[in-house]
Amino acid sequence: MWKEWKTEWIKVRYRGIGLILLAFAGLLILWSIWALDKLSQKQLDDGYRILFLQIPLLDTVLLPTMTAMLASRLCDAEVKGGTLKLLCTLEKKGRLFDLKILTGACYLMVFTAVQVVLILVQGAVHGFTRPIDPGQILFFILQIWGVSLAILVLQVVLSFFFENQILPLAVGIMGSFVGLFSWFFPNGIAKKCILWGYYSQLCFIINDWDQETQTATYRDAPFDVRSFCMLMGILGIGYLAGKRFFLRKEI
Amino acid sequence: MKYMIETRGLDKQYRERYAVKNVNLKIRPGCVYGFLGPNGAGKSTTMKMLLGLVKPTEGEIRIFGKEVEEGNQIEILKHTGSLIESPSYYGHLSGRENLKIVQMLKKVPEKEIEEVLDIVRLDGQQKKKVREYSLGMKQRLGLAAALLGRPKLLLLDEPTNGLDPAGIQEMRELICDLPKHYGMTVMVSSHLLSEIDQMASDVGIINKGKIIYQGSLQKLHDKAKSSVCIHVLNQGAAVHILEKCREVFDIRGEELMFEEREEEQIAKLVALLAAGGAQVTRVSEQQKSLEDIFLKLTGKQVSL
Repeated sequence: MWKEWKTEWIKVRYRGIGLILLAFAGLLILWSIWALDKLSQKQLDDGYRILFLQIPLLDTVLLPTMTAMLASRLCDAEVKGGTLKLLCTLEKKGRLFDLKILTGACYLMVFTAVQVVLILVQGAVHGFTRPIDPGQILFFILQIWGVSLAILVLQVVLSFFFENQILPLAVGIMGSFVGLFSWFFPNGIAKKCILWGYYSQLCFIINDWDQETQTATYRDAPFDVRSFCMLMGILGIGYLAGKRFFLRKEI
Repeated sequence: MKYMIETRGLDKQYRERYAVKNVNLKIRPGCVYGFLGPNGAGKSTTMKMLLGLVKPTEGEIRIFGKEVEEGNQIEILKHTGSLIESPSYYGHLSGRENLKIVQMLKKVPEKEIEEVLDIVRLDGQQKKKVREYSLGMKQRLGLAAALLGRPKLLLLDEPTNGLDPAGIQEMRELICDLPKHYGMTVMVSSHLLSEIDQMASDVGIINKGKIIYQGSLQKLHDKAKSSVCIHVLNQGAAVHILEKCREVFDIRGEELMFEEREEEQIAKLVALLAAGGAQVTRVSEQQKSLEDIFLKLTGKQVSL
């Protein structure tokens, strides 16, 4: 298993995946510098809450596209180079699928960790007055990593299925738009059916906008465990269905 | 173990159409088995089924005497090498890195990479990115990957496709050397009869998904023995005489074709026909080529 996983890391050499992640992380960093410029005392109090709300919002736009690019970079070498017919005689087909997901999950974890570090650094630099809640860091990781992982499974299946990687990328971009709109959908079953909508569904900060004073008030909300369980259910079913689909595909 | 590969009643059905129908392969250890057939005959599908890349609709596959099942497939295939259709490679990696991946998956010592690079004469190009390789070099890299771990069995599907004449000759020599030098059994497919004729000791001919001949190449050559052709002016009389004497013959235009026979028998036959008023004008010997046999078996023009 370890040797097989090690080959996945050889395969991703020179694929520029690190650069893709760096570019998306760079966007987030630049946004955070711009967004946190000249904060009022109230905003300094709510600094972490602002970031825990705004970063998932940005992630809804950025991560579906980034995950589609990541899955494509992980899988298209096999599709283009016709290496599946060689690899599937050397390792179990199902394991190959698992290792692709595992490798992608590692990249997503690194990206999520970078965001956590960004929040902590911005908090220290700007001197957010209210201390960070460690539980919320965990919720943030579950929210961003969990949803992105479910999207990754979908994108890996699509990238393996289509020789032309434009189609999986188009699905990723479409996911960004659908996810963004889902922030404005009312809570309900329809919203829970949209995979990309879980970034907003799992958000644990509520933003109340006062039209008269033109100010926003941020407050904590309980982490939506039921929605998280539902996401894990979608992830599990998606993984099993995707793997089955991949196993049944003849080469 | 009598056979390296043995299949029984192997079928592959796509909707209503059979790509492979009731294929019973028998490949002896240490031979170069030429798998010959026109394009679309079912060669690649059969080889893919042997490698577990395509699931058979029916039938049994035994490799190294063991029945191949989902549970033991990878264990069995680790002792095989394969090159199916076009070469498999990671274009963004160097030749050596490509082989490193296969070496790790096959769990063989790293020093074997040098050996196989040397065998396929790619040692000078190992650091170059594979996307910069020529097709011949990619094909040789594919063969190097197949040779890693010194497999007992090698499955090569049209390995000379797209190669220039020099590359074809080089690949052919390499394949012929494998059983002698490394004790490997090689199954090599081609739609080129001349190619199989130069490489194989045993041959299987497949057409429309069915095996129509399987055996030694020598036996196939034996079938290519000459025939006797007698030209007569009165064919009706000749046929009447021959049928009366229960002779086996074919009519091809104005000529009567007989199987190869002793000179004395030919003389008797001519005398018999002449006496019956068939008016013999010409007797000649015709050599049947392998191509004729292939054509007769498959009903398709052979590629040369």
